[in-house]
Amino acid sequence: MSSTTRLALRLTGLALFLLVWELVGRHLGDALMAPPSAVARELVALAEDDQARATIWQSIAPALVGFAIACAVGMPLGAVMGRSPIWNALLHPWVSTFVVTSVAAIVPILILLIGTGWWFVVAVVVLSSVWYVTLTTYQGAVRIERRWLDVGRSFGASRIRAFRTIMLPALFPYLLAGARIGLTHAIRSMVLAQLFIVSGIGGLLNEAGMDVSTARLLALLVVIMGIGLAASHGLGRVADWLAPWQRGLEPQR
Amino acid sequence: MSDVIAQRTLARSAPIVAMPPKLRTINLTRHFVRGGDAGLTVFQDLSVDVANLEFVAIIGPSGCGKSTFLRILNGLDQADSGTIEIDGRRVSGPGAGRAMVFQGFDLFPWRTTLENVAFGLEMQGRSKRERLDIARHYIELVGLTGFAQSYPHQLSGGMQQRVGIARALAVRPDILLMDEPFGALDLQTRDLLQDELLRIWQSDPKTVLFVTHSIEEAIYLADRIIVFSPRPARIQRDIRVPFLRPRSEELKTSAEFLAIRREIWCLLKHGVDVGGPQAAG
Repeated sequence: MSSTTRLALRLTGLALFLLVWELVGRHLGDALMAPPSAVARELVALAEDDQARATIWQSIAPALVGFAIACAVGMPLGAVMGRSPIWNALLHPWVSTFVVTSVAAIVPILILLIGTGWWFVVAVVVLSSVWYVTLTTYQGAVRIERRWLDVGRSFGASRIRAFRTIMLPALFPYLLAGARIGLTHAIRSMVLAQLFIVSGIGGLLNEAGMDVSTARLLALLVVIMGIGLAASHGLGRVADWLAPWQRGLEPQR
Repeated sequence: MSDVIAQRTLARSAPIVAMPPKLRTINLTRHFVRGGDAGLTVFQDLSVDVANLEFVAIIGPSGCGKSTFLRILNGLDQADSGTIEIDGRRVSGPGAGRAMVFQGFDLFPWRTTLENVAFGLEMQGRSKRERLDIARHYIELVGLTGFAQSYPHQLSGGMQQRVGIARALAVRPDILLMDEPFGALDLQTRDLLQDELLRIWQSDPKTVLFVTHSIEEAIYLADRIIVFSPRPARIQRDIRVPFLRPRSEELKTSAEFLAIRREIWCLLKHGVDVGGPQAAG
């Protein structure tokens, strides 16, 4: 399929979706489901609202900090688990358990432990994204091919050189994939955490929910989707730029 | 009459006595331990002498341990007993004038041709400028000028193995170890690369140990062919190949060539019959 056809189809899909939404929205009314035209007006209002904009920006900060911590912890953890059977046996059960556990279930304990401040959001973000970063890195570390390490040894690579010139580049695509998945989870859990403590975007959502209109709620939803898509896509671009050899190996996105 | 040819062409190689051989293995033995099992002797008391600048092919049934032998010579694997000497000096571990060309090419997908060829020099800590200069020289030697900036996935199998050869040559080893380097290539590419290898070897002579499955390849390339028996491997026959160089394709249909081919074929077939089904490897 050519890229023009694909783009045309995507736009058609989007237009159809908006059309159905508009019809359903007009039928149900603003209180139940605002139509896209109303949501668009609300989006413009949001964009013009300095305070709302500032709130949204401030919400993203703890998500980014949490995501950075998740990468700093998850990447080395995953790499060690992938290369050392002992560490893997020790840690893997815990990582697999946490990855399937809803962070929402841990929230009450977190609130008791660290309260409902800025760091609460960071903690929720870390706890929901770090496992994905860890497991993706782990998969990469397990898949570092023995034959590559053999080439290194054959040419007399020291352990440090082998790490830098073979392990890191071999891991790199997985680090980036892990970062991408982790970032998506970070942004999702950021909204969740802020809903619990009624601050940031969560606060805005809560406020909008009090009104009888769903237009603002849906506008906020569009904003959250936009942030998630932009982050994931942006990291994808960074990946292509940093690891050009990957482009020929992966199926087209 | 064929006996006369056989006697003339298949004479055992005379032992080299005057000075220490380039490479000598003395009673090299390797066991693989399998869980609980008594283990598996890959080869026992393998003693081989290789003269300087000699091109030696090693051939044997599948799983007879010829690749393991090469890996031990490279220092990637350790023998359980026995010694390896280069120029009369005992060696252990990788490095020290040996370089390996791997069967699966085993290039790094994240490195361009130039960076792959320069890898060994980088591990030696050479300056960037120096290693790229040397790498460019060997890229030209293997006929890949114009592909220096390509990544492995953009190259054909034959081109990838040229990169593998250039990578090994770039560290200027005295001994080139080649582990079925053309085994993964189609026949035409294989024939082409055999001629290329001979051309490169004649312009940049080295001692070569070349493991192969192909009898023809061994005879066409080598000065000497060591035939391994099935596991536990020992040297079943040591054959001197009498053909002058440069060699060309016509050689492959000459009577002498076919006679050597038949002898090795019989040795290998006999080995398979006696040893039963062998594990691949």
